[in-house]
Amino acid sequence: MKEFKEARENYESIPIPEELDQRVRAGIRRGRKNRRSRYVRRTLGTAAACFVVVFGALNLSPAVAAAAADVPVLGSLFQVLTVRDFTDTDSDRTVEVEQPTVTGSDYADEISARIQEKVDEKITEGEQIIADYKEAYFATGGTEEDWAKHDNKVTVTYDIKSQTDTTVSFVVSSAVSIASAYQEQTYYNLDLAAGRELTLQDLLGADWVNICNAAIRAQMAAAEDPSVYFDESAGGFATVDEATSFYINESGNPVVVFPPYTVAIGALGTVEFEITK
Amino acid sequence: MSHIRESELTAYLVEDQARFYRLAYSYLHNREEALDAVQTAVCKALEKQDGLRDAGTIQTWFTRILVNACMDQLRQRKRVTLVPPEALDAGSYEDPLPEDGSLARRVDALPPEVATIVKLRFYEELSLKEISQIVDCPLSTVKTRLYTGLKKLRIAVEGEV
Repeated sequence: MKEFKEARENYESIPIPEELDQRVRAGIRRGRKNRRSRYVRRTLGTAAACFVVVFGALNLSPAVAAAAADVPVLGSLFQVLTVRDFTDTDSDRTVEVEQPTVTGSDYADEISARIQEKVDEKITEGEQIIADYKEAYFATGGTEEDWAKHDNKVTVTYDIKSQTDTTVSFVVSSAVSIASAYQEQTYYNLDLAAGRELTLQDLLGADWVNICNAAIRAQMAAAEDPSVYFDESAGGFATVDEATSFYINESGNPVVVFPPYTVAIGALGTVEFEITK
Repeated sequence: MSHIRESELTAYLVEDQARFYRLAYSYLHNREEALDAVQTAVCKALEKQDGLRDAGTIQTWFTRILVNACMDQLRQRKRVTLVPPEALDAGSYEDPLPEDGSLARRVDALPPEVATIVKLRFYEELSLKEISQIVDCPLSTVKTRLYTGLKKLRIAVEGEV
């Protein structure tokens, strides 16, 4: 209809705000989380839930790792240090940060910059979650006095999983604890010597998918109560892929990590499977 | 019939976001509210993804969620416009045309349930059957509303719309 041509052109020229993409992605994250939290509510049972965001596991060259796996000392080539350690408290929340940095090469510096960025992002995100919660709290009739009793916290810490004279595997965790739940996991696996991402294939060889899947299925079946793991048909474990998170343990084996509620009931929390090489 | 995977759903939502925003904006005429409505609808879609049985109907399924989010937003506003009695034209039962008279403005001035159908039909170019699924009304109601809308817009209907 020609009358509608102009109206339609008008409609199509509605400018798209820059933040639309961000908002759509935020909606996706929130929706995904809400869907999962149906499991959470049943299993968690506590008013205040603490959720951990694990986002960094740095693994150095696997060949060197295997060769030097029995030398549990981090050498002089690369170092993991605490670069920022502070606590900041105001009336609304406490922020506690223990931020690691990696030194020794340009790639290590790049990784450190990424950690820095991630930590800053997590602090901002955590503060935003608390601010949103505060707004909702008062909007629904909460009092200033009751609000003061809340102990809202944003924390960032790190934990070295394993180290040798040339390799290190560690996770950086950030947590937001308020009266509701938030959770997300991202691991970075990096070969600092070669300056690239490290994969399960590097550690386990070409058949890594089958090796992992067989080991995981065997461990699930051997569990005291195998029903804690979701069926594949119910959205449970299907297969590992390039996006599967892992870190390297003291024995030099990759440990595959699944965030809570993805493959098993929430009560199990983060689920880990060691894949023996 | 194939059940949709979460990755397909998120890909669709990211891909078609501009369309969603325009539709939301055409209801709300407010940038922030339109962004809120899109975010709310996206969030709901992820929560209720198990309700989408057939991946082929994703567009009508999500548009319905989005339209409902916009309607909720409009309801929340509870905006009441008071019109002084002397401004009413007692002789006409037809809605007055907005001052600038452009078709787009006149579409917006229609009652929301009528405007929805006009927009979906002519801006989004959906079929009447798809629209009836989105607004959850029988096809005959959709047709009635569409013709009512066109009549109010003083547009002659040429053949089948």
